[in-house]
Amino acid sequence: MDKFRMLFQHFQSSSESVMNGICLLLAVVTVKLYSSFDFNCPCLARYNALYGLGLLLAPPLALFLCGLLANRQSVVMVEEWRRPAGHRRKDPGIIRYMCSSVLQRALAAPLVWILLALLDGKCFVCAFSNSVDPEKFLDFANMTPSQVQFFLAKVPCKEDELVRNSPARKAVSRYLRCLSQAIGWSVTLLLIIAAFLARCLRPCFDQTGFLQRRYWSNYVDLEQKLFDETCCEHARDFAHRCVLHFFASMQSELQGRGLHRDNAGRSPEPPAVPEPPEVLDSGSGKAHLRAISSREQVDRLLSTWYSRKPPLDLAASPGLCGGGLSHRAPTFALGTRLSQHTDV
Amino acid sequence: MDKFRMIFQFLQSNQESFMNGICGIMALASAQMYSAFDFNCPCLPGYNAAYSAGILLAPPLVLFLLGLVMNNNVSMLAEEWKRPPGRRAKDPAVLRYMFCSMAQRALIAPVVWVAVTLLDGKCFLCAFCTAVPVTALGNGSLAPGLPAPELARLLARVPCPEIYDGDWLLAREVAVRYLRCISQALGWSFVLLTTLLAFVVRSVRPCFTQVAFLKSKYWSHYIDIERKLFDETCTEHAKAFAKVCIQQFFEAMNHDLELGHTHGTLATAPASAAAPTPPDGAEEEREKLRGITDQGTMNRLLTSWHKCKPPLQLGREEPLLMGNGWAGGGPRPPRKEVATYFSKV
Repeated sequence: MDKFRMLFQHFQSSSESVMNGICLLLAVVTVKLYSSFDFNCPCLARYNALYGLGLLLAPPLALFLCGLLANRQSVVMVEEWRRPAGHRRKDPGIIRYMCSSVLQRALAAPLVWILLALLDGKCFVCAFSNSVDPEKFLDFANMTPSQVQFFLAKVPCKEDELVRNSPARKAVSRYLRCLSQAIGWSVTLLLIIAAFLARCLRPCFDQTGFLQRRYWSNYVDLEQKLFDETCCEHARDFAHRCVLHFFASMQSELQGRGLHRDNAGRSPEPPAVPEPPEVLDSGSGKAHLRAISSREQVDRLLSTWYSRKPPLDLAASPGLCGGGLSHRAPTFALGTRLSQHTDV
Repeated sequence: MDKFRMIFQFLQSNQESFMNGICGIMALASAQMYSAFDFNCPCLPGYNAAYSAGILLAPPLVLFLLGLVMNNNVSMLAEEWKRPPGRRAKDPAVLRYMFCSMAQRALIAPVVWVAVTLLDGKCFLCAFCTAVPVTALGNGSLAPGLPAPELARLLARVPCPEIYDGDWLLAREVAVRYLRCISQALGWSFVLLTTLLAFVVRSVRPCFTQVAFLKSKYWSHYIDIERKLFDETCTEHAKAFAKVCIQQFFEAMNHDLELGHTHGTLATAPASAAAPTPPDGAEEEREKLRGITDQGTMNRLLTSWHKCKPPLQLGREEPLLMGNGWAGGGPRPPRKEVATYFSKV
């Protein structure tokens, strides 16, 4: 049980593993979708190509977009791309790294569909039956060209009366399927060679840049998640204090009215605003959350987070006011601490 | 500490068994793929051989490369090969060991595909149907009378029962049985040969260079585990960095508000008192940062991890970040104190 929990944590710990899992799931869904889809070639001269090619290309496009949607990192990447620079400069290398990793994972399911369709052959036969050269097959010698075209359009439909049990149909169908499978395997081979070369040769080019970009893109992802979690925590804390505050003020108002009734001469006490009870603030380090205590402050915090992200330098002392506080420029507040860190 | 040990054990047991598991799954997938694949001989004289050769060779190549690609050790091997020596010498024996072990595991799925293809026989039948000895198996007297292209066209249709029209020359069943028999014999010979080879390699290897083999195996496992642990440590560091960064952001906002509201309506006493002292949870996070608290230092750490890996010797306390461009070449010689005497001549 412990091992399962650790396994789960191990996969959840890295956002890359989560994304790999989603990618695999989508590929499996694609296979299932293809095998349960009922292919239905129209067997009419002009519509065959449209149907065949449409079915070869439209579902992969939809699956690609699904892959992008299901991947959280695509949103993180766009946010990182569009944010104002603020105190933290933007590194295009990180955005490129995230973009390439998102695209690679999103391309897996469409490629599975295309390869399955090519290896199965039905789409190809439907789309290209009219484009076959009748010279290759001796059975068409005594037919007019229009008859030949009509016949060829019916090739994908085995049960049609015109072509049922016709050896010519079988020969054409066989030829097209064979071509489709050859193209499918060639495409697979090319893709896998490209993937292998990319994996082998990547360390030969700029390995240090790669390590840095991988670290910082992982950081951006984690920071986004943690910020969302902290905001949730803050919202919960805020709501709790608000509710307690309300009850306390109601209670003191009642007490105040009670006192006023008893002592008519005295001016009514303003309802006291007692501090919320300290029961839940166990000193667990939430003081920084409790400081933000009004709607305007929360709004201001959120807009500052977007427009001016803090610099990637934890040794800097807190203070957001004053423009141009970047980790490059030494400032009056930080003195000599920043000057130790040279830029790489 | 306990958690760290559990993680370590998990990784250790995971490495070999993970790759063996992947290897087994791919072998099964290979057999499954063959049975799901609809073999479709073109039954045309020029195309039969090309199609069959393609089906016999392309999927094994794809499976082999897939086996290599899915193995994380490929990029590790390339990294280890291309890294600058730094303070750690490179051992070609370790690289060879890694490559051999990866290649061996990746070869299993292709071998399964080739074996299944030969044992099934359709591929062989498609490729060699035009080379069947008609004179021996069929109506030998009629064969010389036919022109060669016509004979080839007839025989090319043997794998396709619905379009075969050469029964007067050669019964289809006879040709099919003949070719399938040869194919199965080849298939079983292939299986026997590969199994024998694997057995010989495995039993004979300890007779040669066992010590070198043990060393290579140890250091190749070490490199793999070190890389995984480095990635995990980086992720932990990134998490701690993010947590502290966000906390500081909230504190800074609070600080900002206080400066803005000194004439203030809500200078709540507990908040302002708490701001200068970091909360308890932050101390633990700061420890995880191990003193690396800004982007420049982190980048330098990552650069020197690649350019100048630390020596395989624990217990030496030399600083690693010695400024830019120090590639090192070996351990520094110990400093010697030299006393010079100046004569006043």
